[in-house]
Amino acid sequence: MFQLLNFLLICPLIGALVIAFTPSWNVRFIKTYALFISITNFIASLSVWLLFDTSTAKFQFVDRIAWLPFLNMNVYIGIDGISLFFIILTTFLVPVCLLVGWTNITKHVKEYCIAFLILETCMLAVFCMLDLLLFYVFFESVLLPMFLIIGVWGSRERKIRAAYQFFLYTLIGSVLMLLALLLIYFQVGTTDLQVLFVSEFSERRQLLLWLAFFASFAVKVPMVPMHIWLPEAHVEAPTAGSVILAGILLKLGTYGFLRFSIPLFPEASLYFTPLIYTMSIIGIIYASLTTLRQIDLKKIIAYSSVAHMGFVTIGLFSLNVQGIEGALLLMLSHGFVASALFLCIGTLYDRTHTRLIQYYGGLVHVMPLFSFFFFVFTMGNLSLPGTSSFIGEFLILVGTFQTNTWIATLAATGMILGGAYSIWLYNRVVFGSLKPLYIAMCSDVNRREFWLFLPFVIAIVWMGVYPDVFLDPMHISVANVIQHKAFM
Amino acid sequence: MQFINLFENDFYALFPELFLTCAALLLLVFGVIWSTSKASGYPILVHTVAWLSVWSIVCALGLTLHMPFSIMVCFYNTFVIDELTFLLKVMVLCSTGAALLMSMDYLKTSSLNVFEYSILVLLSCISMLLLVSSYDFISMYLAIEMQSLCFYVLAASKRNSEFSTEAGLKYFLLGAFSSGILLFGCSLIYGSTGITNFEDLAKCFAGISHTEPSLIHVGMCLLSIGFLFKLTAAPFHFWAPDVYEGAPTSVTAFFAMTPKIALLGVFIRLLLCSFYDFLFAWQYVLFFCSVSSLLIGSFGALAQKKIKRLLVYSSIGHVGYLLMGLCCGTVEGLHAVLLYLVLYVFMTVNIFAIILSSIDHAKTNRVKYIQDLGFLGQTHPVLAVTLSATLFSMAGIPPLAGFCSKFYLFFAAMSSSLYSLAILGVLTSVVSCFYYIRLIKIMYFEQPSHVNTFSAMDQEKATLIGLTSVFIVFFFLCPQSLFLWTYKVAYAFLG
Repeated sequence: MFQLLNFLLICPLIGALVIAFTPSWNVRFIKTYALFISITNFIASLSVWLLFDTSTAKFQFVDRIAWLPFLNMNVYIGIDGISLFFIILTTFLVPVCLLVGWTNITKHVKEYCIAFLILETCMLAVFCMLDLLLFYVFFESVLLPMFLIIGVWGSRERKIRAAYQFFLYTLIGSVLMLLALLLIYFQVGTTDLQVLFVSEFSERRQLLLWLAFFASFAVKVPMVPMHIWLPEAHVEAPTAGSVILAGILLKLGTYGFLRFSIPLFPEASLYFTPLIYTMSIIGIIYASLTTLRQIDLKKIIAYSSVAHMGFVTIGLFSLNVQGIEGALLLMLSHGFVASALFLCIGTLYDRTHTRLIQYYGGLVHVMPLFSFFFFVFTMGNLSLPGTSSFIGEFLILVGTFQTNTWIATLAATGMILGGAYSIWLYNRVVFGSLKPLYIAMCSDVNRREFWLFLPFVIAIVWMGVYPDVFLDPMHISVANVIQHKAFM
Repeated sequence: MQFINLFENDFYALFPELFLTCAALLLLVFGVIWSTSKASGYPILVHTVAWLSVWSIVCALGLTLHMPFSIMVCFYNTFVIDELTFLLKVMVLCSTGAALLMSMDYLKTSSLNVFEYSILVLLSCISMLLLVSSYDFISMYLAIEMQSLCFYVLAASKRNSEFSTEAGLKYFLLGAFSSGILLFGCSLIYGSTGITNFEDLAKCFAGISHTEPSLIHVGMCLLSIGFLFKLTAAPFHFWAPDVYEGAPTSVTAFFAMTPKIALLGVFIRLLLCSFYDFLFAWQYVLFFCSVSSLLIGSFGALAQKKIKRLLVYSSIGHVGYLLMGLCCGTVEGLHAVLLYLVLYVFMTVNIFAIILSSIDHAKTNRVKYIQDLGFLGQTHPVLAVTLSATLFSMAGIPPLAGFCSKFYLFFAAMSSSLYSLAILGVLTSVVSCFYYIRLIKIMYFEQPSHVNTFSAMDQEKATLIGLTSVFIVFFFLCPQSLFLWTYKVAYAFLG
């Protein structure tokens, strides 16, 4: 049978291969072809959504390819309600990234397209791999293209430092996870996730393994003491890099928590819930307050991402259906909102080549369309009812109230702080008096940018107004995750 | 005639070595006569002899692959043929061939106009083949000495360079010293047991408890130190950076891979066959050496400015990983070591082939400082991509080949409860990442003070780089066959 997931994984690789053998002067063909490939992949992922059976918690579209059969390691792919939307988010964001760089990436266009297509394969593989070791492999291989994207197409001299930080921070977290999964492999004798789901680990070992996984995921999320790399990486990365970072890479960590830490080590997850809660609350409040004193537009969005990811981790570890579904929805929504905000900043940066907030003001006079889009996304960021983030944060708070009222209350202050920095940011950039220096530079969004922004607006409003389409496929899978007796 | 009949099969078993010996001697005679012939104008013959040596290595490889025996002990129990020697011999021959191929251009352009170079390489290759299959202290020691003698000359072969002479002298002094320690260890063991044969030693030690220290322990310790010295494991590594840096680069490439295979091979045989009952004694030695090699390999390389020194420290680190696998003393451990060794050889061939390419059109300068790689990403994008793939692979970043060997190594360490070693191993791999990435940073991101335009690469090196890069990048897609082969070897040896 024709396997849709295999197609999703292989299609970008083939595209990258074709582009690799295209002479690099043929820029137009390279760009168009890469866009064509990524859009094909997006359509394919939509058909995965259409064919997805919402009435079962089983993994769907499964396929098994022998990799190292004598060590019991196989390429085993499949998706369930948890990973479905990440697949769609990934395939949606990659064409966006290619379009963002359509005019402002002028050097190494060929390598740019190859890097993004390979990155797409790696990210998709992370989300649909049902083998722990291969999950790790792809989880790590995301680093390579991302390192190059920040290092080569970044904007300033500091980008090298940022690329270094990004690479080493993530690596040092994940090598501990490698040891943990080797220990699991040593105990169980396989890295097949479905076998691991039904195997038991002793409580002592669970705590150890959980911490090792936590080291890896917490750096990726990032939770507060380990978040230093994120603002650096965001600021130095090109716009498309920031979109992928905010849209997908941050989700790898939280996805890992939900896919591995919680079902594999239920007792340890319960044991460490206070740790997660504390770190997330510190993250939400600290990051929100830090946002207020940033002068770089990208850093503001980066820190607000840290705050939102704090919400997500709280939701995940509330360990009930509402909380986890809210977390999933917020991840999805953050993937749209934060990416769109980075796109907005990229649009401004293309025109003025500065990201410092003090040079902006009164943009509504010269860029009305842009101001509209920026407004919608800012409202999404502060989770206004009617936008997607509201549904997510609301569900998370509902879930958390059932387990820990104090944490829910403290987390709710994050919403207020979010409102504060978002509105203040919008106010400073869009309203006020127009800075005369930049009038000539600030033309309104062009057609490419308009069509780039529009799908984001649709997605955000759709998820805010009628979230059931997105929640429906999740119900059974999420309920299945928390069915362990430890959570009852 | 009686004598010949007695050894009839034995000669078959050592046929590749015999063939190579004859070939080396014939080539020597050919070189001596031809290069001094006035009639043909004293030809230099470097290229001719090098190519003939490569072809004789290819023939020897063919002979090894078609060996009629899979397991046998020959010449009065002094040599052995089994799965392990087969794998190691193939590797020794391949890496020697690769080292010769990549030095073709180097020999021509860096005024190393001596045809003896290839013959010395060939002779050391023969001694390493013998070393791999030696089954007795005497044959082992003689093979090591023959190999070392060739190496001393090779290290000093660039006669007009002070560095090279210094390297040769240093190598000679310290090599002789370590051989002395090795021999002393052998004699202590021989003194207390009266046995020099590996298998007899194993039989002699079996079943006796070896808890209280004895002379055998001392002998074994000295023997291990001798080997660790030659393997450049820390803390016996101090000679390595100077020797490797001073020796001509093509010789360094040869030193970095082939002797490691052979010495590690016989070391494996000694420890896991003869001294298996002393596992808990030698485990401490190896544990200590592995830890210090990992630390010195990763932290020592951070401060290096010359690329060869950097690679030496990185190879010290790799020796640390190899010792980690050996330390386990299990089938998984041996399997991991063999796998690591094979992939290490591939990566070393790749990286040295790139280092050996000249950086100006006159072909007089070569990559010496790491800053010489500056801007490679702009001037030679394909070469830069290849080099960065290899460096990432050496650092053990998935999905490149280096990762496959590393994860299995850590798994082996975990399954023999060497948790501290495994944790140290992953942490130092992160540190080593730092200096590998620094090279990539220099190639891609930095604005260099001057830009080197590499001259066009010769076909031999280009082929080597192409083959090894394809292997490194695509090994992940089907690792099964190599895993199975090395597993078969490890299982046949220990199982």
